[in-house]
This record gives sequence, C-alpha cells and structure tokens, in this order.
Amino acid sequence: MKSKNIFRFLLVGLIVVFVFAGTVLGATYPKKPITMIIPLGAGGSHDLNARVFTSVIPEYLGQAIVVKLMPGAGGQTGTAAAVRAKPDGYTLIFTHNYIDQLQPLIEKLPYDTTKALRTVWALNYGPPVFFSRSDKPWKSLDELLDHGRKNPGKLQFAHTGKWGAGFTPGALVLTKAGVDAQFIPYKGGGPALQAILAGDGDFSVGFPAQTLPLYRAGKLRLFAISAEKRLKEAPDVPTLKELGYTSGVMYRIIMAPRKTPDDRVKVLREAFRKLYEDKTFKNLMAKLGENMEYMDGPDYEKVRAEQKKQYAELIEKITGEKPKGK
Amino acid sequence: MWDSFLEGAQLCLRFDTFGMISLGLLLGMLVGALPGFTTVMAMAILLPISFFLHPLVGIPFLIGVYKGGIFGGSISAILVSIPGTGAAVATIFDGPALTKKGQARKALEMALYASVFGDFSSDVLTLFFIGPIALIALKVGPPELAAIVLLSLVIISTTATGAAVKGLIMCFIGLLFSMVGQDPLGFMSRFTFGIFAIKAGIPLLPMLIGVFAIPEILAAIEGEVSSFITERVDLSKVGERLKYEEFRRCFRTILRSTGIGSALGACPGVGQVVAAFVGYASAKKASKHPETFGKGELEGVAAAEAANNAVNGPTLVPLLTLGIPGDNITAILLGAFIAQGLRPGPRLFAEHGPTVFALLVAMLLANVLFLILGYLTVPVFAKIVTVRKSILLPVITIFAFAGSYVFRSDPFDLEVLVFFGALGYVARKLKFDVSPMVMAFILGPILEYSFGQTLSLAGGNLLHYVFVDRPFAAAIFALIPVVSVLFAVRAVRRRHKVAAHNSRMKGGEVSGVS
Repeated sequence: MKSKNIFRFLLVGLIVVFVFAGTVLGATYPKKPITMIIPLGAGGSHDLNARVFTSVIPEYLGQAIVVKLMPGAGGQTGTAAAVRAKPDGYTLIFTHNYIDQLQPLIEKLPYDTTKALRTVWALNYGPPVFFSRSDKPWKSLDELLDHGRKNPGKLQFAHTGKWGAGFTPGALVLTKAGVDAQFIPYKGGGPALQAILAGDGDFSVGFPAQTLPLYRAGKLRLFAISAEKRLKEAPDVPTLKELGYTSGVMYRIIMAPRKTPDDRVKVLREAFRKLYEDKTFKNLMAKLGENMEYMDGPDYEKVRAEQKKQYAELIEKITGEKPKGK
Repeated sequence: MWDSFLEGAQLCLRFDTFGMISLGLLLGMLVGALPGFTTVMAMAILLPISFFLHPLVGIPFLIGVYKGGIFGGSISAILVSIPGTGAAVATIFDGPALTKKGQARKALEMALYASVFGDFSSDVLTLFFIGPIALIALKVGPPELAAIVLLSLVIISTTATGAAVKGLIMCFIGLLFSMVGQDPLGFMSRFTFGIFAIKAGIPLLPMLIGVFAIPEILAAIEGEVSSFITERVDLSKVGERLKYEEFRRCFRTILRSTGIGSALGACPGVGQVVAAFVGYASAKKASKHPETFGKGELEGVAAAEAANNAVNGPTLVPLLTLGIPGDNITAILLGAFIAQGLRPGPRLFAEHGPTVFALLVAMLLANVLFLILGYLTVPVFAKIVTVRKSILLPVITIFAFAGSYVFRSDPFDLEVLVFFGALGYVARKLKFDVSPMVMAFILGPILEYSFGQTLSLAGGNLLHYVFVDRPFAAAIFALIPVVSVLFAVRAVRRRHKVAAHNSRMKGGEVSGVS
C-alpha cells in the first residue's frame, strides 16, 4: 500500500514537471479509461456498434473506452452532459447527425453543439432504406409517391420517432415529392418494422441490418436506399440519387468537447485509423451488417456544415415556420 | 422440427454452457438486487463477452443474466423495500411487510419458486407454440395495446385498497407526473417550466426508490426498534422456510399469474411491470381474503413474481421469428445473435434450426440452474435483515442514493429521489397509498402513446377504425365494461356478506374492506 502511495506521489510530481515544462503530455494520454457517452438507449444500433469497437480498441489505445448510456429527451440529456464535460479527452460522445445538427434547430437548447463539440471520427453510416410490405400495390418509390399525391393525407408513413434517423430521410423525400402524408410515430425501428409487417402503415424508413433478412424472405419490398452506391446484398434496389432524390444518411460519430487538446484528439484518431485494419473488428462489423465507410474528423466537419442548411429548409417546409433554435 | 429439436438438445449439453449460465444467473441476481443497476445495463455491459464465446455458451450466458436479473430485483424489494428493477414494483406491496413479520426467508423462497415456475412454464409454452405466439405478436398494434392497457388499468384499479377517492387522487397525480417532459408523439416540451433537466421526463427508478424506500427508512427511525423486524418474533426463527402447504395454497395463484404473464408477454410493448400488476390484482380479486393483501400475504409475492418472470419466454418470439426486438433486453440479445452470425428472422429456423433449438433448451436448463442457485443463495440474503438497524439503515440509505445516481449518472436524479421521498413520507402520514400513483405513472405513458398512434392510424374516424377495422381491439374494449360490472357485482356481494357477518357478530363495526 505504502509503496503504491510513493509511486503515486512520484507520478503526480512527474506530471507537474511535465505540465510546467509544457512538453510531451499528449504522448502519455490516455492514462485512464475514457468515458464515452451514448445519448441513446441500450440495444439500439449505436449501442451495438459501440460494444463492437470498444471491445477491440483498447489494443490500439492502451486504455479502455467505457460506454455510459444516458438516454432521454431524444438524445438531449446525454448531449448536454457531453457539452458540460471537462475537455481533457477523457469524455467523448457517440452520437448521430440528427441529434447533433437537427435537434438544436427545432427548439432552444441550453447548448450549441456546433460550437461546443468537435468531431473525432465518423465510425460509419447507416443508409436509410425505404420499404413496404410486399403485398402493397406499389412496386417502386415513384408509384408509392404517386399514390400519395393522388390521395392527399391518406398515405401512412410509419416512422421511428419525430426528427429521428428514420423520420428525417422520409420527410425529406415526401416534401420534395410534394406528398401530403400522414405521419404515424413508433417507438424506434423495431416497432415500426413490426407495424409494417402487420399491415399497419403504408411504408417506413429503416436500416439494412433489420430489413434485409425480411426482404430476402420475401416479406418486404425495398424501394430505394439512400447511399452512394447500391448495396451488395440487394443489387436491384436503386439508390435515392438514381431516382432523383437526396435524403442523406445517419452518420455514427464520435465527438469530443471543442476545447479538447489537438494532440489528444490526434491520439484518438490514430487509434481509430488502426482499428479499420483489425481483423476482429472487420469480422464483427460485417456480421452486424454495418459498413466500414469512415470519415476522419476534419472531413466530417465539412459534411456537418452542410447538414444545418438542409435541415433548416426541411423544418421550415414541414412546420411552416422558421427554425426556432440556432 | 423434431429432429432439429433433439439435435439441439444434445448440442447444449456442454460443461461450459452450464458454467456460463450459472455465472450469468449469479451476476444477474447480484445486479438485479443492487438498486439502480438494471438488468438491461448489466446485459449491455456483458454483451461483448458473448462476442468471443461459442454461440451456445455466450447467448445462454446473457439469458442467465436476464433471468437472474428479473428475480434479483425482488430480493431488495422484499428485504429493504427498494425495487431493484422496475419489474419488482408489485413485489413491494407484500414483500417488505413479510420481512417485518420475520418471514423474509419465506418470502424470498416464495419469490424464487414462483419466478422459476413462471419462467419455466412460459419457456415451455414458447418452445411449443412459437408459431401461434408469433401470429398474436403481429396482431397486437397500437389500438390493441391501448385496449389491453386500459383493461389492465380497470382490473388494477378495482382492487385498490383504502378509500376510493384517495386512490383516485393518487392515480391522477401519477398521471400528471407521467406527462412531464417531451410528449412522446410530437416531441414538444410540456410541464417542464423551462427546466432542461426534466425534459426527458421524471426518471422511474429514482422515483420508485423515493416513494418506497425513503418513507420506510424514516418510519424505521421513528419506530426506534433495534431490528428491522417490527413484530415480536423469535429471532432464531427468522430463517423459517417456506412450507409445502404454503406453496400449495399459492399454486392456483402462481398458475393464474403464469397465464397472465405469458399472454401479456406475447403482446409486444406491455412488459413485466404491467404483468406483475395485473397478476397481483387478479390474485387479490380471486382471493377469499383480499384484506390480507398488502399486509404481508405470501400469495401477493407469488402472484407478482410468477407474472413478471412468465413474460420472459414469449418476448423472445418476435425476435426469433421476425428479427424484431420488442424491448431493450431483446435488442441486446439481437446484438448477441448477429455478432455470432445467427441473424434472427424468418429463415433463422431453416438455416440454424439445431442451434436455435439448442438455445431454447438452454433456456429451460437455465431455469433448473436458477432454482438450484436461488435455493443456495436465498438463506444468505435472508440473513441481511437480522443485522442491527443502526448499521443496516445507513447502508440502505447509501444504496438508495447511489442506486438513484448510477441509473443515469445524473446528479439531478438525487433531487428527484429526495422530492419523491418527501412525497412518499407525507402520503404515508396522511394514509394515502402511493401504489396507484406509481401504477398510473408507469401505465399512463403506454396508454397515451398507443392512443395517440391509434388516432393517427384512424385518420379522423376513430370509431369506425377500432370497431370495424380492428376486431381484436374491439373485442378487448368490449370486455372492459363486462369486467367492470362483474367486479362491481362481486364487490357488492362481498360487502353484503361482510355486513351480514358483522351484524351477526352483534355490535361488530362494518369494516372498510371491500
């Protein structure tokens, strides 16, 4: 016990010396486990992705990343905690673009994510898929939207929660196509998918991980996927771009408080870069059905700046008002 | 199918499967018993372990955590009046009262046997009726869910004890609390008074610990007795075991609760808490002596525990057959499945038949191990109440606060705990029962959400939609007045009987029991 105390004393002394010398502190980061807030619930796609990469990354980071789930208010509880955290590189947040850029536009929040958070790494993205039950009369996205235009207020969009990852892409396409649809909320992707299978609601927007097995079993019809290129697993499903629409994707992003030192962010980015060469990581991500299309922090910051404009337009179209937030 | 079943049964007879299930059960019980740590949290943290194990070791391990966790919640509920998990709320109605009578071990054993029975039977049902259950699960949409929750509310509310007006007031307060925060459909803030911290709503666990545990602690301090056991009992008999006759007396209740739990488990979105409430209320309704419920009735513990564990089996059905997780726990299991390359969905049984059956058999095995491990650990837990109060009370207080905090790691939750502790204490002094408030708080949002969805689905023509397009929902709605009238008639009859009985006793006051 005593020798441990002496050791600690020496360690603290060393740190003090380093700080005053203003030298290689960054090289010793991280010294303790890093906390990563997920502002969403257990068992969601963020949780699963995080469980996979946090089980592999200690090899490259030298320390563990500990997941801390802080769900609530559609992601705002966890985000507020991340914004308040000390910018020392020991608190990160694993979030997505709708919490990061869309939510602050809808109402006044006690934080400004753009000013308060910076991107460490964009892990991958979830490409939204538009789908219906396979016995519905429409066979393509155009037919579906046509049906909606002919029956204003009748087309039922079973979505996964207002302003969420399934809602926003669907709403973007519907507004662009000029369809007046009925929005029916469900508590996340599972319940919405179940509703479609039961015949409630005309279409929904989800992600390949859940929809592909049902598509292969012939229970679902996929109309379009919002991604750069078609899916390997479903090569006959066109991309939204081919059909003349844009709706964006859901990026899973790791962010840190804005004032986190550059050298520490660099350490994190290096660890993430190495992760993508790791066999176990590749293997597990493939099994999850997730892509490995990452983006380095600075690259994602450019995408982030464009999102705000796009979302502001969407909100104005849907609510008929200028965005209230900033 | 029979071939895959037999093949599967052989596959899971492995030593490491047994070992990891046992480890999972123990971890689950421990985590469940610690207030604030929920079963979901434990499973999320332990999930990566399963990535690196054989599928028939890793997934049964998580199932063990699941089963152990749901039971573990009742341990702290019975002993110190802190619900370890939400599912144990209904156990609080009778568990702590039994502890005070010096029957902690009996209550724990009852909870264990009822849990294992409920779990085992519902697993067997799931194994043999996976197809029909999958069909029911698909039939239950928002209107059906609204009808089921409304029916549950009717059953629960007609069995409340005490003055009806007081119960209604508490129910109303509970509904009001449940509405604080963002509304679930449109995401607009309401009743938050601009306070950011309550935008996510009032957190359930700090509230539960507040209203149930804090008043209990304060009352124990006021009582100035040196032990938690308030009635005069022979302390050497505290470890009294459950007698066979007592189990047999409760067997009908356990069967009923298992049925209720399995049926509600097949309906996605209902969950353990509602099942436990309904199981408890039905047992009270059917009992010849409902007045003993809430005052330390073994049957009450049995009813709640059998019902909440019976939910476990059927909730797995939508996951296995469609790949759709119904709640957070099954979502984590989904993660474990796909990380092993077993993608749940319509083709799971065709592609991995033996493995899936092996998993289902492992679930049954887990119940047997659950019984053995529970039997061995219950006496250890039961000893806790014999600790002197001057030591036990501070420890419980620490656990109440720590438990409220670790749930979300938000310091605000401590304020919630203190607020509801004070509320619970005042309510107790004024003889208001807090359980209607808690029930309304839990059931209200489910009802609100499913009703809102039904309104959207109906597209402006609610009556036509429910009664023409949704016959299943209409049938349940039609049951509500029938059940209410039936219950009312029964209550009146009982009152007459009691009155007649009392007048025969000459001068006997008509008791307020109804």
